[in-house]
Amino acid sequence: MATLSLSAIGKSFGGADVIPGLDLDIAEGELVCLLGPSGSGKSTLLRMAGGFEMPDRGTVRIGGADVTRMPPEKRPTAMVFQSHALWSHMSVAGNIAFGLKLRRLPRAEIRSRVEAVLELVGLAGYGARKVWQLSGGQQQRVAIARALVLEPQILLLDEPFASLDQHLRERMREELRDIQQRLGITTLFVTHGQDEALALADRIVVLKDGRIEQADAPDVLYRAPATRFVAGFIGTMNFLACDIRRGRADHPLFAVPLALPDGPAELAIRPEALRLTPDAEGPVRVRRVTDYGSHVLADLETDDGERLKAHCPPEARPAPGQRMRLSARQLSAYQQGRRAEASPAHLREGALHA
Amino acid sequence: MSDAAIAVRPVRAAPRGGGLTGLLLVFLPVGLLAWLILYPILRAVIRTLVVQTGTGPALSLETYRFFFTDGYSLANLWLTLWVTALCAVLLLAVCLPIALYLRFAKSRIAALVQGLALFPMFVPSVILAYALIRTLGPNGAVDLVLNAAGLPKIASPYLTPAGPVIGLVWDNIPLTVLMLVAGLGNVSDNAVEAARDAGARPFALLRHIILPQIGNALLVVLSFTVLSIFSAFTLPYVLGPASPEMMGPFMQRTFTDVQDPRMAITQAVITFAICAGFGAFYVRSIARNREASR
Repeated sequence: MATLSLSAIGKSFGGADVIPGLDLDIAEGELVCLLGPSGSGKSTLLRMAGGFEMPDRGTVRIGGADVTRMPPEKRPTAMVFQSHALWSHMSVAGNIAFGLKLRRLPRAEIRSRVEAVLELVGLAGYGARKVWQLSGGQQQRVAIARALVLEPQILLLDEPFASLDQHLRERMREELRDIQQRLGITTLFVTHGQDEALALADRIVVLKDGRIEQADAPDVLYRAPATRFVAGFIGTMNFLACDIRRGRADHPLFAVPLALPDGPAELAIRPEALRLTPDAEGPVRVRRVTDYGSHVLADLETDDGERLKAHCPPEARPAPGQRMRLSARQLSAYQQGRRAEASPAHLREGALHA
Repeated sequence: MSDAAIAVRPVRAAPRGGGLTGLLLVFLPVGLLAWLILYPILRAVIRTLVVQTGTGPALSLETYRFFFTDGYSLANLWLTLWVTALCAVLLLAVCLPIALYLRFAKSRIAALVQGLALFPMFVPSVILAYALIRTLGPNGAVDLVLNAAGLPKIASPYLTPAGPVIGLVWDNIPLTVLMLVAGLGNVSDNAVEAARDAGARPFALLRHIILPQIGNALLVVLSFTVLSIFSAFTLPYVLGPASPEMMGPFMQRTFTDVQDPRMAITQAVITFAICAGFGAFYVRSIARNREASR
């Protein structure tokens, strides 16, 4: 176990700054997810932590030691790749034992460590098989075992479950979380799956254009996104453009008092924070209804053509074309892309009706 | 029409003669193959085995017996095998580092190296042979430079076994590099990075990860190289020694100078048999490749 510290780290490709300069500290045993859209620099950051990309500026420290110029083979890190990157000419045990053999450990120790790590990932007895004889999930477990057997101080995972189906992905991430907590290994995990990040991480770092938009615990990130980008990127968010005039939003649906300076703003409401009530005189009309089993997603349209999404319980499924009245349990406001420190008092007490 | 009528309508059978159409389509190329390749081979083999006696044609292994008991013929065969083996080893030694560099280098120099490696492909063998004579031959460019520097002349490889070796290696570099680069394309960046991550330094990476993963490509390269060099004529004829000589010039001289076509055909059949052995090796490599990629 060790800390991982990236200080003022930057990387450019072909003159373009992929990561202009970024600071990130990961505590011992912490699992941090790097989340962001394609091209946000999350894989580059991970590869710099692993030594596969040399940063143009800044430092990488592991357990306080500067490893910035150290090649991957000398770093106390282990990486799990999206493509598994297993060596098809070797058996499962051969793949896992490779790093141990390079370290010239005694055969008996190699065998016992390989067996132990296969047991850990639930593949006991699979050592003699060729990797191509395994399913995708089993191959990914071998890749994790290969990384863990080296007892790295830092575990790096680059979208390891991207090629797996939904059910397997959910099971694998639970297993990974279980193993990570049991071993207490410091982990940096790259994903562009929000559900994966929310389910796994102690802390999520949202990246945009090589910069950290927000780094927080999953619940904080979801419930109090610091920027409009994070609010829109994590989960679904309804944004309603309005103006603040004399401490009040002028939106026709939610004319809420907000302690904000006058100027353009956006009200942000999660679909699950909206409640629909049938009302022939209501301000919105249901355009489409999508049933997700656990809930129903209603696509709504105001008379001005503004669109919103709202969750409803399956038993209260609205009909397309039906007019509705809206109420919001939670609402936040963004000005100039940043979350405004506004908290409408009456929202704390109950729902805001429109 | 009722539903019942639709239900009982018989399923129309596939038109007959589909297989015949397929055979007709391949008839022309297969016929050409049989006429231009298989028939001459068969005819050549028969000509070496059948002799005309006073009582009519008779089976005879006389020419083969002569070849395998004649010291000069065997010396030529051994020289050909030696040149082929040496060229194959040298080609792998020269081309594997180039191919590795081209596969993994990210610098702009890689394009220049690739251009240089492929350049011999565009130079005809006979031009190459005379260029090598003018460069490495007696009083060639190298000798002139050494002389100007006050240094002794080099022992020229011209008309020695080293001559065709140099020429054949130079001539076969492009194809070998291309085949190796194609083989290395199957080694993913992630597989290499995973090995480095596990602690593999360059030599361990090459030995334990890259070479095993391009094993089939190496076999293909080896087969192609051997086939091409074993049956080479121009470079051994122009650059090689007069005695012993490689099988290509040996056949030509037996046919035109010695005017013994039956013996020349025997030499050709023996050469063909050895090449066919490597050909079988190549086909087996391809079959293994396909099996592995399933």
